[in-house]
Amino acid sequence: MSNNWEMVIGLEVHAQLKTSSKLFSSSPNQFGSEPNENVNFIDSGMPGMLPVMNFGCIEMAIKTGYALNFKINKHSVFERKNYFYPDLPQGYQISQFEFPILSEGYINIESGDDKKKIRIERAHLEQDAGKSIHDIDPKYSFIDLNRVGTPLLEIVSYPDLSSADEVINYISSLRQLLMYIDVCDGNMQEGSLRADVNLSVRKKGQELGTRCEIKNLNSFKFIKQAIEYEFQRQINIIDGGGEIEQNTMLFDTSTGETRAMRSKEFSHDYRYFPDPDLLPVNLSQEQIDKIKPLVGELPQDKLNKFIDNYNLDKDIAKIIIAEKQNANLFEKMISESTVKPKFIAAWLVGDIFAFIKENNLEVNSLNDKTKDITDLLRLISDDVISNKAGKEILPKVLNGEGKPSELVKELGLEQVSDSGELEKIIDEALVGEEENILKFQGGSDRVLGYFVGKCLKATKGKGNPKLINKILLERLKK
Amino acid sequence: MSDIDIKRISYLAKLKLPPEKEEFYSNSLKDIIKWVDNLKKVDTSKTEPLHNVTEKTISIRNDEVSKSNSVDDVLSNAPERAQNFFKVPKVVE
Repeated sequence: MSNNWEMVIGLEVHAQLKTSSKLFSSSPNQFGSEPNENVNFIDSGMPGMLPVMNFGCIEMAIKTGYALNFKINKHSVFERKNYFYPDLPQGYQISQFEFPILSEGYINIESGDDKKKIRIERAHLEQDAGKSIHDIDPKYSFIDLNRVGTPLLEIVSYPDLSSADEVINYISSLRQLLMYIDVCDGNMQEGSLRADVNLSVRKKGQELGTRCEIKNLNSFKFIKQAIEYEFQRQINIIDGGGEIEQNTMLFDTSTGETRAMRSKEFSHDYRYFPDPDLLPVNLSQEQIDKIKPLVGELPQDKLNKFIDNYNLDKDIAKIIIAEKQNANLFEKMISESTVKPKFIAAWLVGDIFAFIKENNLEVNSLNDKTKDITDLLRLISDDVISNKAGKEILPKVLNGEGKPSELVKELGLEQVSDSGELEKIIDEALVGEEENILKFQGGSDRVLGYFVGKCLKATKGKGNPKLINKILLERLKK
Repeated sequence: MSDIDIKRISYLAKLKLPPEKEEFYSNSLKDIIKWVDNLKKVDTSKTEPLHNVTEKTISIRNDEVSKSNSVDDVLSNAPERAQNFFKVPKVVE
């Protein structure tokens, strides 16, 4: 039983910064190019080549500092982390060790119904490594160095997380923030955001156990699976009388199991030392202050604004702020139209998002259709067309098949909201219904539904239901 | 002074030492460390660590792309090449 056991988790999240060029070379920082297309002699570790710092990376780190409540350090130092592996031919990773650019930050995450503050020890800039492909040839590995030198911000939390769900919430919140401040594209499938999970177990209330580190997880599903498996693995060892060995683990996505990396008779010794090719980074207060306005609105700011100013329900507001592009689309529609924000929001998270999902679209692709969408919503909220007709026209509007008002005419979906005309139809519908009218007046509300249905049918579904309801009541109460 | 683990050091340095040379290199390294340890005689308790002898700060460039080398340039020193990949003996963790 794992009932009286708890897990203690700290995370190292690697976020690729979305600069145009690499951290220390001007090669393109781009995913999906042909092998070794984005490589120059600095990236490939040729002797005599000198790294030159990309200031865009510093700016993005500072932005992250503001967004994650970090202390932004004026003084930071790049050091060499020495290890040998073919996908990093220079023989060391340039990273920050003793003096990171950011220290002591935090974010608040949701944990059940509560908020929980997760402290972040540090964040530092470092180079990504290349990629080895092992499955083309039985005897050889194929190396693609395109990713070498891609700027990474490694964000290291304290061991403040205590369940797989908290870990997922923490990473989602980080991802959301990094995407809002436009420093990371958040694409986990492409490896833009990856996590190493440090996990130990202990009996509730006891001291920290020995931890194992699960490397390089790049999907929420795998993170959850790996945590659950590793938690149970460690408990089983201790329950069986064993001891946890501090180890680096790999998660096998095909079996759902973690296993120790085929290591290493010797533990790693990275022999960090300040990189003699790179002088210390010394920032002025002005340089740091200048970045602050670039941070922009954070998800929490938007959430508060949507609830307080636009009167949205919290759940709906949360769906909209989940991704920056959703929030942008929503705000664009509000700024372009006088339709009530709450009405726009309901359609956005309902039929519009459903359409996007069904057709596998980017939310951004609707940015040039916002005027048409709000024109349609205006027709619905003004009762020119019914809700049902709105649902019918929406996909055509989103596909760019025409202007809402034209589509309404073309499809003959305009509602009859002329009370004179409706009165005539209703009076005709009530002929010969004396028995039912008496039933209604005797207190049977069900009859009203019958009458509304009959009148709607008489208008071929185009009668404005609200108006029909109103006129019917007047007539029936006589 | 801590003992020299010559096996570990040769592993980290990617050097293969014949067993009969292990003691020789172990002693040589010990001598070097003993000599460097002379530095410990200096009292540095009131000295800030110095990372660099110049007062200068890091050189920076703007975030702009330029392609300086072609794939063929980059692969021209590859021990072996397969299409546009470097081809190396298999290293798998």
